[in-house]
Amino acid sequence: MSVSSLLGLFREEAPRLKSTFRQIYAVVWANLMIFFSYKYSVITDLLSMAASIFMYFFMGLQVDPTQLSSRGYGQSYIAFALVGVATSQYLWICLSRLSHIIQHDIRGGTLETVAVTQIKMGVYFIGQTIRGYLISLISLFGTFAVGLFALGVTLQINVYTIATTVTTFLLMIVANQAIGFMTAGIVMVYKRGDPITFILAGLNEFLSGVLYPLELLQQFPIVYWMARMFPYTYALDAMRKSLIGGATILSPDVYFDLTMLIIFSVVLLPIGLKVLQRGYNVIRKNGTMATY
Amino acid sequence: MNAIEVLSLTKRFQRKDDGKKRPFAAVDSIDLAVEEGELFGLLGPNGAGKTTLIKMLCTLILPDEGRALVNGFDIVKEAEKVRASIGWLHGETGGRALYWRLSARDNLRFYASLQNVPPDFAEKRIDALLDFFDMTEEASTLVKDFSTGMKVKVMLARTLLPNPPILMMDEPTVGLDAATAVETRKLLKALSTDLGRTILFTSHNMFEVERLCTRIAIMNSGKIVAIDTPLRLSEITKEIKAVEVRISEIADAKILDLFQGFEGVQKVVKTEIGEDYSLIQVQVEDEQKAIATLPEFLQEKGLNVISIQRALPTLEDVYMKLTRKST
Amino acid sequence: MKTPELINFLKEVPVSGREASVLEKVYAFVVRDFRTWWTYKLWVSIDILGTLMFVVSYYFISKIVTTTSLEAAGYGTDYLTFAVIGVAFQQYVFSSVSTLSESIRGEQWDGTMETILSSKTGFRTFLLGESVFRFIMGSYFLVTALLVGEAIGVKITTNLGSILSAAVMTILLITSHMIVGILSAALILKVKEGDPIVWSFSWLTQLFSGVLYPLNLLPSQISWIGAIFPLTYSLDGIRRCLTVEATIFSPMVAEDIVKLAIFIVVSLPIALKAFKAAYDSTRIDGSLGQY
Repeated sequence: MSVSSLLGLFREEAPRLKSTFRQIYAVVWANLMIFFSYKYSVITDLLSMAASIFMYFFMGLQVDPTQLSSRGYGQSYIAFALVGVATSQYLWICLSRLSHIIQHDIRGGTLETVAVTQIKMGVYFIGQTIRGYLISLISLFGTFAVGLFALGVTLQINVYTIATTVTTFLLMIVANQAIGFMTAGIVMVYKRGDPITFILAGLNEFLSGVLYPLELLQQFPIVYWMARMFPYTYALDAMRKSLIGGATILSPDVYFDLTMLIIFSVVLLPIGLKVLQRGYNVIRKNGTMATY
Repeated sequence: MNAIEVLSLTKRFQRKDDGKKRPFAAVDSIDLAVEEGELFGLLGPNGAGKTTLIKMLCTLILPDEGRALVNGFDIVKEAEKVRASIGWLHGETGGRALYWRLSARDNLRFYASLQNVPPDFAEKRIDALLDFFDMTEEASTLVKDFSTGMKVKVMLARTLLPNPPILMMDEPTVGLDAATAVETRKLLKALSTDLGRTILFTSHNMFEVERLCTRIAIMNSGKIVAIDTPLRLSEITKEIKAVEVRISEIADAKILDLFQGFEGVQKVVKTEIGEDYSLIQVQVEDEQKAIATLPEFLQEKGLNVISIQRALPTLEDVYMKLTRKST
Repeated sequence: MKTPELINFLKEVPVSGREASVLEKVYAFVVRDFRTWWTYKLWVSIDILGTLMFVVSYYFISKIVTTTSLEAAGYGTDYLTFAVIGVAFQQYVFSSVSTLSESIRGEQWDGTMETILSSKTGFRTFLLGESVFRFIMGSYFLVTALLVGEAIGVKITTNLGSILSAAVMTILLITSHMIVGILSAALILKVKEGDPIVWSFSWLTQLFSGVLYPLNLLPSQISWIGAIFPLTYSLDGIRRCLTVEATIFSPMVAEDIVKLAIFIVVSLPIALKAFKAAYDSTRIDGSLGQY
C-alpha cells in the first residue's frame, strides 16, 4: 500500500468506542490465546493435576480413617485431600498471579505499552486476574472429575451444598485476591515479588490444612493461631464440611467460617486496592515502570 | 496552537556515585514548544534525558517540577486525555514490547481494543498497515518467529493504528531494512505535512533528522543545549568561512595547489574523491566573493566546475560540537 | 581510550596460548552461576523456608498415617522418615534437572547460548557446566531437608558404612537424572518451548517411584511402571541404607545398584547422541539462536 493510500485511510476519523467491558474482554482473550499457544504446558498441567490426585489417593490408603472421622471429615482421605488440592490452586492464583504478570510485563516492556493506552490500569489488572481464574477452572473441574469419576470419591452433592461451596469459594477468592492486590502493589515498586508471594502462598497452604486436619496444629498453639489468620483456612473448612459432611450455610460451623470470610473481604479489599494503586503511582513517580 | 508545551519540566533520579546515592536531574528544567503539525527531532547522546522527557509526556513518569501540556491537556492532571491524544513508539529495540505468543494481527487487535478503536475501523487499519509494511502474509504468524525488523514494523503499525494527533517515536527506523526505512520516513513526512500530525521523534541517524525535521532540539545532561531548524543550527555553529567546490577531475596535488594559489583561499580544509568527481572544501576570507570568482578562475585553468556552494557543518558536526561543549 | 590506542592494544598477541581445560571451564560456569545466585540472597532464605515447610507438613501427615504397608514392604521405619527421604531426594533430582532445562531456555532467550557455543567450548562442556551448580545447590537443600527432618523426628542411621552406601546411591541417582536433563535439553534446543520431559518425569516418578508410599500399595497392573525409573531403585536403596542400615553389599541394595548402572550405561550415550543430533540439527536449520 502506498503512502497516499494509507493517508487516505487516516483522513477518516474513527469515533472512539469507550467500553470497559470490551477492554477487559480484550485482555482476557489475548492472555487466553497466549496460554493456549503453549500446547505442551496445557497438556502437562492437566496430566500433573490428574497424577497428583492419584498420588494422594494411594498415599491416603495408609491413613487411619478414624483420624479424619473423629474430626468430622468423613472416612475418606482422598475426599478430604481432593477439596484441598482442587481449591489450593486458586489460592496461588489469587495471591501470586497478578504479581507474576506485572513482573513479566515489566520485563517484556508491555506494561509501559499498555499504560500509554486508554485502558485504566485497574481495568487491565482486573482483566489479568479474570484470565487466571478462567484457566484455573479447568484444573478445578478436572481435579474433581478425576476424584469423582476415576477414583470413586463420594461427595455430598446437592443444590444446597453446591450453593454453600460456591458462595464460600467466591468469598475465598475475594479475600485472597485482596491480599494478591497488596503483594502486586509491593512487587511493582520493589521488583522482587516471588519471595513474598511464595512465603504467603506457601505458608497459607501449609497452615490451612490442605493435606491434614487443622486440629493437628493445636499441639503448637502459636502455629494453630497463625493458621487462623488466613482466610483460606476458613474457606477450606467450610467447603469440606459442606461437600463431605453435607453442611450448608445455615449450619453453625459453616456460618462462622463464612462470617470470617466476609470480615476478611470487607477489611482487606479496600486496603489491597489502595496498596495496588499506590504502587502504580510510586513507579510513575520514580520512573521505574520499565526497570526490573 | 502548540501541540506540546513544556514548561520548566524537571525529573530527578538517584544514582550511585562512589558508593553513595546522589540525586541527578535526568531532565533539568526544560522549556520546549512543538507546534501543531511539526516534525520535531530530539537528539542527544545516551543518557541525555530524551527518553525520560518523552516518557513524561506520555504520562509514564510523573515530573518532579514544572508542567507540560500535550494537545492542551496537562500530563499530570489530565493524563487520560493525554493518552487519548498520543501514540508512542517504544524505544525498546528488538521488539520486546510485543506479545510474542500472539500473531501480528492479534497484537494489533488487542492494542486497538485498549485504544477504543471500533472493531470495523481497527480491521481496516490493521489490513492497511500490514500491507504498507509488507507484512500481510505474516499477519497470522506468531511474533516470536519474526526477525527484529519485522517486530519493529509491527510496533510501528501499532503506534499508527489509533491515528492519534500526536506521535512520540523513539528511533522509529532502527532495525528496518533500507526500503522500509525510506517508506516510513515518507509516511512520517506525509502525516505531518498532509494530515497535520505532530511528530516528536528521537534518532541517532543525523541524515534522517536533517532531512525530515522542521526543527531539532539537542539535549545533553538533561538540558536542551540548542533548538532551531537544521540550517540555522549549522550556521550558528559554523566556525570558519568555507566553500565546497565539486569538479569532474580527480583532485591531485597539482589541482590542490591551484586552489591554494587563488587569492582569497586561506587553505584547503578537506578533499573527497569520488569515482568521477572531487569535492574540495576550502577556507576563504569572503564566501560570497569566492562563490562569484573561484569557478571562473578554475575554468580558466582547464577544470570543469560542476558546482560551488557555502560549506556548512553537517548536523553531525553540529551535534558533536554542541554535546562535547556542554559536558 | 581513543581509537589508535585501542588498535595498538589489540595488535598485541595474547601471551598465553594454552587452552583452558574442561575442569577450568566448568569451574567458570559454577562461578558465574554462584555469583548470579548470590544476587538473589532473599530467595535463598525463602528456599530454606520452603524446605522447612514441606518437611514439617509431612510431620503432621505422619500423625494420621499407619505404618502397616511400610512394614510389609521391608522399610522398618515410621512414615515421617519414609516420606521425608522420598520427597527430599525426588525434589533434589527434579529441581536439579528442571533448573537445568530452565537455564538452557534462559540462555536461548538471552542469546547467550550462541555466544557460548560459538566459543571454544564444546556442547558437552556446556551441558556439564550448566548442570554442576544446579546439583550443588540441590545437594545443599537436600542436606537442609534431612537435617530439619532429623530435628523433628526423622530417624536416620549414623552407621558410617550405611551413610557411605547412601552416598554411592545418591551419586548414581544424580548421574541417571543428568541423562534425563540432557534429553530434556535436546528437546528444548529443538522445540524452543518449555519442557514436557521434565514435567512428565516429575509427576510420573511421584506416582510410580514410591516417593510418598511403598509400591505394594499400587495395583499390580500399574506397579511395574516404576521399574522404568531410576528414582525407584535409588529411593529403595537409599531408604534401606538410611533406615535399616543396609549397605551396598546387602543383596537388595546391590540389586538396585546393578539396575541403576545398567540404566546409566545404556542411556547416557543415547542421551548425548540425542543432544548432538538436536544441536547439529539446529545448526543446519539455523535455529540455534532462536527462541
